[in-house]
Amino acid sequence: MRSIMVRNFVIRLFSVSLVSLSLAQASGAAMISTQQAMQSEARDARIAQVSAILAREDVAKQLVAFGVDPLAVQSRVNNMTDAELLALQGKLDEQVAGGDALALIGAVFLVLLILEVVGVTDIFKRV
Amino acid sequence: MPALFLSGALAGCANIPPSVSDYGPVTSPLELVNTPFYPQERFQCGPAALMTVLTASGVNTTLDAVSSKVYVPGREGSLQSEMLAAARAAERVPYVLVPELASITAELATGRPVVVLQNLGVSWAPQWHYAVVVGVDIDRDEMILRSGTDERRVTRTPVFLRTWKRSDFWAVSVLRPGELPANADRDRYVEAVAGLEQTGHALAARDAWQAGLSRWPDDEVVLFGLANTEYALGNYSNAEQNYREILRNDNSSLIAYNNLAMTLLALGRNEEALDQIDVALTLAKGSPLLGELQDTRNIIFGTSTE
Repeated sequence: MRSIMVRNFVIRLFSVSLVSLSLAQASGAAMISTQQAMQSEARDARIAQVSAILAREDVAKQLVAFGVDPLAVQSRVNNMTDAELLALQGKLDEQVAGGDALALIGAVFLVLLILEVVGVTDIFKRV
Repeated sequence: MPALFLSGALAGCANIPPSVSDYGPVTSPLELVNTPFYPQERFQCGPAALMTVLTASGVNTTLDAVSSKVYVPGREGSLQSEMLAAARAAERVPYVLVPELASITAELATGRPVVVLQNLGVSWAPQWHYAVVVGVDIDRDEMILRSGTDERRVTRTPVFLRTWKRSDFWAVSVLRPGELPANADRDRYVEAVAGLEQTGHALAARDAWQAGLSRWPDDEVVLFGLANTEYALGNYSNAEQNYREILRNDNSSLIAYNNLAMTLLALGRNEEALDQIDVALTLAKGSPLLGELQDTRNIIFGTSTE
C-alpha cells in the first residue's frame, strides 16, 4: 500500500516536472511562432500553446492505455499539432479509427446485404 | 419496418452536390499503374494506405515502421490525426484536400495517389476504412483503388462518393517539401506547412514555405513562416531579409519587428535590434502583443549590458 503511494507520488512528481519544463520553454521564447501569427490574438495563441502541452501529456497517456508502445508514444504525439492534440484530448475513444472493424449483429447482416446490392454500402467483395 | 429502415438509409446518402461529384480537370481515364501495393493485415488499412502514398512520394520505409506510428491496438484502427502526424515524421507535407472529387482527380493528374477515409458501412453499423485512390475511369463512372487486400479495387463512383461522404470527404495528398498541391487552397496549404513547422521539421517546412511563396508572393503569413524556419535553421541573414520584406509591405507588422529584432540579436547587431524593438513599442499601444515586445526588449537589453 505504502509502496503504491510512493510510486504514485514519484510518477506525479515526474509528470509535473515534465509539464513545468515544457511551460518554461513555451513562455521563455521571445520569437513569435508562425502558429501565433496565424491567430488574431497573440494572448489566445499563448494560452492555446500552454493548453496543448497539457493535451500532449493526456493524449500520450490515452494512447498507451489503448495499447500503443510507451517507447513510441512520445514521438507520435510530438508529430501532432497543438490543434490536433486539443481535439483529441479526453476523446480518443470517440474519434473515428479507420481499421475495417465491423460489429455485425445478427439480422443487421441481411439489411447490410440489401444495402450493398442497392449501392449504399461497399463492405462485401463482389456481391 | 425493414422497408422504412432502408428508405431512411438511402435518403441519407443520396444528396451529393454536383460541385462535389464533378470529375474536374480529368477528361479521359487515368490510372497511376505504378503505385505500389501493400496488402493490409487485419485492421491495418491505415498503415497500408499510408505506406502506399509515402512510398509513391519517395519515402524509404517499411510497413512495420509505419504501423508503429499510426496503429492503435485498443481501437483496432488508426486515427486521422496520426495519419497526418506520421507523414510529418517522414518529412512530408500532409495536405488535406478541398472536399470534392475534382481535388482527387487533380492530384492524380499530377501523378500523386490520394489517401481517403471511407465508411464502407452505414452510420449505425460503421466500417471505417482507409484506401488509396490511384485512378478514375470517367467513361465507366468508376474509381480505382488500392484497398485492403485488393490491389485494384474498382468501385462505381456513386458508391465511392456515398462511402466517402461519411468521412466528410476526407482525403490527403502527401507532398514532398517544395511540391504544391494541384488545386492549392491557400489556407489549407498554410495550415499543412505550419503543422510541419510546429512539429519541428524546419528543413522540410522551409522548402514548403518557399514553394508557397512562389504561388502567393505577397502573403505575409507564408513569408513569416519562411523567415521563422530560416531562423530556426540558424540562417539568420536569410531570416533578416524575409522579415524586412514583410515590413516593406506592411510597416506596422509588430510580429515582424519582434522577430527581426531577435534575428539581429542572433547576428550580434544588438544596437540595431534595440532600434527595431523600440519602433515596434511605439506602435504597440493597446496591442495584445505589448507584453511580448517588452519581453523581447528585456532580452536584448539584458544581453547588451552583460
